[in-house]
Amino acid sequence: MVLLAKAALGLGGTLVLAGAYAFRDGLIRVDVDEYRAGGSHVHMWVPAAMVPMAMHFVPKHDLCDAAQHAREVLPTIHAFAKELKKLPNVDLIEMIDGGKHAQFRTRSGNLQVDVDSADEHVHLRVPLSTLDDVVGQLEESGPGV
Amino acid sequence: MKTALISAMVLALLPVRAPAQGGAAPAKPAPSRSSAAAENAERWLHVRVISTDGRGETVRVNLPLELAEKVLPAVNHDRLHNGKVRIDPSEMNDVDLRALMEAIRTAKEGQYVTVEGDVRVAKEGNHLTIHVRDKSASKKSQVEVKVPIKVIDALLSAGKDELDLVAALHALGAQGDTELVSVQDSENTVKVWLDSKNVAD
Repeated sequence: MVLLAKAALGLGGTLVLAGAYAFRDGLIRVDVDEYRAGGSHVHMWVPAAMVPMAMHFVPKHDLCDAAQHAREVLPTIHAFAKELKKLPNVDLIEMIDGGKHAQFRTRSGNLQVDVDSADEHVHLRVPLSTLDDVVGQLEESGPGV
Repeated sequence: MKTALISAMVLALLPVRAPAQGGAAPAKPAPSRSSAAAENAERWLHVRVISTDGRGETVRVNLPLELAEKVLPAVNHDRLHNGKVRIDPSEMNDVDLRALMEAIRTAKEGQYVTVEGDVRVAKEGNHLTIHVRDKSASKKSQVEVKVPIKVIDALLSAGKDELDLVAALHALGAQGDTELVSVQDSENTVKVWLDSKNVAD
């Protein structure tokens, strides 16, 4: 019984620590709801720390290809993410057009994009540190680096 | 127990970054700013477009000048490189912008151009102001542009046939709260202004 308790404690402790590590950078949240026939409903929560980690398993030539295709915009996104990280919570862009409402803002170190209309809701939340990491890795994977 | 201890050791040895807030993640204190950021962080460029055509179209943009200053040099597209825009001399119709600006800078204050009372270009204080009133059009529009002369100087500080946008933004950051552009007609109201607040009024 004691052995079982020890094993449970060990497993529980491991799960708590692994969870804390996985969630240390926050979450990437993607919520898409299309209110029409056949519309998709996607709700995805991914620990942000997993993304740069997972990129290490992407074949080198695929990363190189992606970096090559995005080479013109990567420095811009990198600079943008780096500067956005310094900002407090702020509404950067807001657009209202009839029933549509789109917002682009920073919230607690996250970049948040919200689009709401009568027939769809799209909410995206990405930690800026993750965006910075991913772009940095892509830049390092580019040809000639 | 061993598993937990080994995991704890491994995790303790891995580099840990300050946690970002989101979902279940713990709260993070406000990010600290660099001295450069703090110096210029209070300057925000705001754009507000409000349409009164019934659909209630509204666009609000709040952008820290420092962000624009840092991001612009990273954009290399078409004529924009390193925060500078290349001007095609053939599009300038032989107008020497620098000579024109030098003439305005050294000239006395007052109105320079007046076209039938509808267009007025003037030097007022340290600003170049342009007022356009279109009374003939059905929309009855009114445009007012007020640009600090130091900003125009900075804009023209790059090499020949180039406009230095980053230098202009930097010069703009040194200005006080000011309204830069105001457009008003029967359907739209556009306002571009600079202040130290990170929200539009």
